[in-house]
Amino acid sequence: MEPRNRISSKALKVWRISGVINAAICWVITIAVLVVTILFDWSYWAIGATGLISTAVTYISVFLFPSMKWKRWRYDVREKEIEIQSGLFIIKRTLVPMIRVQHVETNQGPLLRKYQLASVEISTAATTHEIPALELTEADELRFYISKMASVEEDDV
Amino acid sequence: MFEPKRLHPVAVLSSILQTLKEAIIPLVVLLFLGGSSGKGIQLIIFSVICFFLIVFSVLSWIRLTYWVENGELRIESGVFVRKKRYIRFERIHSIDVSEGILQRIFGLAQLKVETAGSNGGKPEAELTAITKRESNEIISIFNEVKKAGKRKLESDCVNEAVTGKELTKVEETDIDSASVVFKQTFPQLFLMAATSGGVGVVLSGAVAFLAQFDELIPFKKISAEAERFIQSGILLIILTVFLLFILAYLVATARIVLIYAYFTVKKVEEELIISRGLLEKRQLTIPLKKIQGIRIAENLIRQPLGYASVYLEYAGGSASDKDTVNTLLFPLVKKEQLKEKINQFVPGYELQTELKGLPKRSYVRYFFRQLFIIIPIVVATSWILWPWGLVSFVLIPLAAIWAYLKFREVGWNISGNQLQLRTRIVSKQTYIFQKNRLQVFDRRVSYFQSRKQLSTIAATVKSGAGPREGKVVDLEQKDAEFMNDWFSYSEFKKSEG
Repeated sequence: MEPRNRISSKALKVWRISGVINAAICWVITIAVLVVTILFDWSYWAIGATGLISTAVTYISVFLFPSMKWKRWRYDVREKEIEIQSGLFIIKRTLVPMIRVQHVETNQGPLLRKYQLASVEISTAATTHEIPALELTEADELRFYISKMASVEEDDV
Repeated sequence: MFEPKRLHPVAVLSSILQTLKEAIIPLVVLLFLGGSSGKGIQLIIFSVICFFLIVFSVLSWIRLTYWVENGELRIESGVFVRKKRYIRFERIHSIDVSEGILQRIFGLAQLKVETAGSNGGKPEAELTAITKRESNEIISIFNEVKKAGKRKLESDCVNEAVTGKELTKVEETDIDSASVVFKQTFPQLFLMAATSGGVGVVLSGAVAFLAQFDELIPFKKISAEAERFIQSGILLIILTVFLLFILAYLVATARIVLIYAYFTVKKVEEELIISRGLLEKRQLTIPLKKIQGIRIAENLIRQPLGYASVYLEYAGGSASDKDTVNTLLFPLVKKEQLKEKINQFVPGYELQTELKGLPKRSYVRYFFRQLFIIIPIVVATSWILWPWGLVSFVLIPLAAIWAYLKFREVGWNISGNQLQLRTRIVSKQTYIFQKNRLQVFDRRVSYFQSRKQLSTIAATVKSGAGPREGKVVDLEQKDAEFMNDWFSYSEFKKSEG
């Protein structure tokens, strides 16, 4: 049984937008190479290669990866533990016991804020784990809930 | 002890040497680089820097005073900015005593005080040179306060308790109650040093050192010389390289002998006290409850000889301190004694010998992973050095053997609250973790693994300031689920179905 909860479907949109930004940088470089090729009479190898790479980056980072990632992302917050599933080609399922959680925080970058989303970051003494894009209210609830459940007992690290 | 005091004057020397050691490269560059015309100016700059360094060191020595008052270690320091640091003994996590060469000449000790807040890398307070009597006094006050802490004594009573007579008594009982002692014998120490693979450290150190000077060394001249040198015979070169390697090996061995000489572990009540070192003595105190796990390493030379090294994963100390990340508990111990010794010193950790291994079908994946590295090498050498490069095809059966060696060592065991994982990276590594010390557990399945019903698991504990991960690759998927359920704190089993 996989963890039950998915992250917000708006995450897909946010990831696509940041993919577009990545792709845009590639295309700026491609255009620069094109200009140089025309000005200095370079061979068409360079422009062909950069064009191909840019097309691939655009497809992968705008269309392919966001939807793959979104399908994979699941989480479950139970009374005594948190389970997170993530990954592109390798599915990773992480189990974090509540008593190991040291602190929880929610983060909001400019893109996430625009779509009223927030990411939840869970830290243990040695590691940090992130649930990347939840509805703001859900993220806040989660933060309250986890920090309440985590403060039950204190072990030596 | 209760009067403000200065450090021993050797502290001045020690701080000058420390600064010089840290600034050696810029100083050397300053002295030797630059145009040949300005040598005089460079010398002047150099002496001015040295002069200010000495003045500053003396001033900071004059301004630093320390004393014990009201259950606090008080240190006031600073030349331009006065800094007053009062550390309550209750707040001190550990006191680390070491004796560098300078300190040993003058019979002194260096104290490092760690509190919970000193995780940023530096110890909370450092007294670089004090007499041994004083360091013993501070340590016994610290021990007293720790013992009294349970009884919640007032700080006044603590002060009363710390009279001279009491102190000597405390020390005596400490030695008596050290019921369990581990000493590394000298023959074993040499064996350990000789099989440590420390040559790599020395060689890379030498390369890094030479790289610092690559701007200074006239490479053009050298390469002309080198050409003549090469012409004079390949045999000579091989011989020189061989001799250099032997030399590096000897240096590395000697270095490790110096570091780990007189290695002793004492178990005093709920603490392990590890002391070692010939020229520079170090002592480390580790509370048992701070131990997060145990790692047993058998490298390629030691494994056939039947020896292993045991490390502690321990959550304390500062991030920059290499010792706290790789804390040796036993540098070298016979395999037959492992179980007994570990149980004696770190109760609750039971080394299991019956491990469950991998299913046969995962061997193919171990082999493929080696092939991914080997095939490009084979293809490249065959192409470049045609036809002699074809010899490199020998690497493929070798890769198959190596993959088998890796595959064979992998195993796991769960008994009660304990998880034992065994794997081979290059050395054979065995991790023993307790469930209540594990921070996180995860399972990973790739597309190809899921077709074969295999998965990879990793269990993470805290070690030093960061994580330490025990990982087993290509396990039976059912076993991975079983381990996941063992770790899960929820009542219902979620991996079913």
